[in-house]
Amino acid sequence: MQNSYIKIKKISKSFQSKKEKLDVIKGIDMEIAEKEFVCILGPSGCGKSTYLKILGGIIPASSGEIILDNENLGEEIPPRHLKDFGFVFQNDNLLPWRTAAKNLSFTLEMMKIKDENNKQRILDMMEIVGLQDYMDVFPHELSGGMKQRVGIARALVHNPDVLLMDQPLGALDAITRKMLSFEILNIWKKTQKTIVMVTNNVEEALLLANRIYIFSPLPATITHEINVDIPLDQRNTEIFNNKRFNELRHDINLIVRSSEE
Amino acid sequence: MTNKKPVKNKNKKRDPINWIAPIVMLVIIVVVLEVLVRVSGINRIVLPTPSAIFAFTSDAFLADLWFHFLYNFKVIFVGMLIAVTLGMLLAAICSQFNIVVKAITPVVILLVVTPMITLIPLMQLWLGSNPNIRILVVMISCTPIIMLNTLTGFTNIETSKLELARSMGASKLQIFAKVIFPNAMPQVFTGIKLGCIFSTIGSVTADFVYGMQGLGFKIQQYTKYVMTEQIYGSIILIAIIGFLLYKIVAMIEKKVVIWKI
Repeated sequence: MQNSYIKIKKISKSFQSKKEKLDVIKGIDMEIAEKEFVCILGPSGCGKSTYLKILGGIIPASSGEIILDNENLGEEIPPRHLKDFGFVFQNDNLLPWRTAAKNLSFTLEMMKIKDENNKQRILDMMEIVGLQDYMDVFPHELSGGMKQRVGIARALVHNPDVLLMDQPLGALDAITRKMLSFEILNIWKKTQKTIVMVTNNVEEALLLANRIYIFSPLPATITHEINVDIPLDQRNTEIFNNKRFNELRHDINLIVRSSEE
Repeated sequence: MTNKKPVKNKNKKRDPINWIAPIVMLVIIVVVLEVLVRVSGINRIVLPTPSAIFAFTSDAFLADLWFHFLYNFKVIFVGMLIAVTLGMLLAAICSQFNIVVKAITPVVILLVVTPMITLIPLMQLWLGSNPNIRILVVMISCTPIIMLNTLTGFTNIETSKLELARSMGASKLQIFAKVIFPNAMPQVFTGIKLGCIFSTIGSVTADFVYGMQGLGFKIQQYTKYVMTEQIYGSIILIAIIGFLLYKIVAMIEKKVVIWKI
């Protein structure tokens, strides 16, 4: 790839307990261009989340290299580059003792960003996710979908280059999930961020992604890389009638099914 | 998507029924007791009527009992204040090192279950007869349980919350102050409420041993002179102190622990 923004070289991760060594990820190579939407698809428990957490600087890799914008960062994202990433967790992971707005300012506080524009930034992000009327509401007063949207706003408030989403719609009911997946598409169009999203839902991946990487079961390796050549203007509620969409869905389902056998 | 504010049931909290119902209950209990005691013809030395208890105790209160009431109140209040501060401080220090937590938890549990009031005669031997030692007694009765609960609160934190902080590059101090500490608040208040129980026990028992001041001392006096009404009255006064303390803690808790788990 010509202008890859993120290059992953042979990233591996294993966990050591007293008796044995568990290989979770084995030799992942990946290249992601700027403003691309990449989905990682795979069966449950195959190390996708672990991989995303390595990208997000939450855990270090055991070996391999992460190259961000031509700078080799090694096995672990150093603290100074953490502000380039925004992480969205599976279970919103909001701090229950803070209001929605204060959850957003939490990011800015932790990253020591003291800007007079902070207040405006928080309002802007809440507007992008459609929750500008809920700034002073506590998480326990919000629905699951709303909490997750606050989580997305929180991951965007410090204006990162890359948005990492770990199965953000996994904990939601089917209707909310579908609705939010279109919202994520809109957010991506509006903000033009590079997005890496882990999901186990094939249709979701086809709706949102430019490219899909399919992970094998444990220990995770990349088995397939799929170019989702559905034009952007056809990615809407009518996508289920799209021929290419259905072809790809069929193929991917076959791959995933066979890998589980 | 609706943009209405979530309906907050504020009326539930300010409903006058909340304080009318317990008062009515109390009145009913008192009336029933009054009738039962009169009808049963039991000797007033054994069980006086509630009206007699009230009459005699109010006289005593206006005379000198108010002084002892305030004395106990001061001892319990100050002792609890120190215990809360000390308990939380010790827990904060110990929670920093995993090995310390493992080592110290059984010791703290031991301190909680051992009746500290049994040490009071020994303390008189070590420290003499300064009446303010009672504050120390309340302190050693309450600190272990507060420390134990606070320690549990500090160490029982969801991994996802720590991952959230790590994804933002938060420092250890930031994580403790802005994540671990607020997260522990429900547990901390549970510990403080339990401490309230031990505080009244400690204070009254100290009165028994040290004498000269306090409601416990007055109960001993009244017993000697068979002033049964005042005995019951003093017991009720002690209960009122405990109740007031508990209510103060509960009110503060409502302001601090705004979220429901």
